[in-house]
Amino acid sequence: MKTLAEFHEGDTFESTREADRYRPVFYAAVSGDFNPIHIDPDVGRAAGFPGAILQGMCTMAWLADVCTAYLGDPARVKRLRVRFSRPVVVGDVVTFRGRCVAVEGPVVRLEIEARNQRGEEVLKGASAEGWLEAG
Amino acid sequence: MAIDTRHVGRRYGPFRTTVCAERIQSFALVVAGGVPGYFGPARDEPHPPSDRVAPPTFGVTFAMEPFALACSDPELGLDLLRLLHAEQEFEHGAPVRPGDVLTTLGEIVDVRSKGSLDFMTVRTETVNQDGERVLVARWSAVIRN
Repeated sequence: MKTLAEFHEGDTFESTREADRYRPVFYAAVSGDFNPIHIDPDVGRAAGFPGAILQGMCTMAWLADVCTAYLGDPARVKRLRVRFSRPVVVGDVVTFRGRCVAVEGPVVRLEIEARNQRGEEVLKGASAEGWLEAG
Repeated sequence: MAIDTRHVGRRYGPFRTTVCAERIQSFALVVAGGVPGYFGPARDEPHPPSDRVAPPTFGVTFAMEPFALACSDPELGLDLLRLLHAEQEFEHGAPVRPGDVLTTLGEIVDVRSKGSLDFMTVRTETVNQDGERVLVARWSAVIRN
């Protein structure tokens, strides 16, 4: 696993995830979030969207996963913060671009952009902190 | 319609959950594509190792209930068709592992309006069987009027 000395301000990482048509149902099953706006395209339309929208928590889980891959261990992910600025609809492809903005002692600070295939931000102000053991 | 500020301080819970290795694995299968370690090389290891820490947003499985209940609380009367998840924060403490028994309490900590939007925030705190804090989370909803 990467050691603290291997993390540097300016590091970048990137990953893409697709909200395929089954993703909201799969995510509902494992998270317990069965809100019909995520499951039923008619309810999504009634709420003003093109169809079912992905759980924001699924987008956040993807973000956490991308950060975990960079940090090397889920136990290192200390803080996560996001603002859901635009719903992810079924069929969207979300690209996460992360950057290490600071390494302060054992704390690795990350900022992450998440955009759909049209370049629109689906998250705003997304940040994460990794806490590593020294050495 | 602005949410009545008298609801600030309203509490939900406590809710108790036992963390199960299979649920961690299912959750990881759906969301944790980038992280090795939750599955054996040929899926021949049916369970993650018992010391395997849950993925960082696994807290949704044990800490979301107070937020879900606040969103659908008849006392607040929020219109679920106009409600969206607006913001989310997680602060992890002690790692969450299979077999842990977790207890979560939630409280509405903020309601406010901004233009035609109403916001409500629930703070949850989860402790494990040893009394260690494993997660503090803030869950914010926006209601589009």
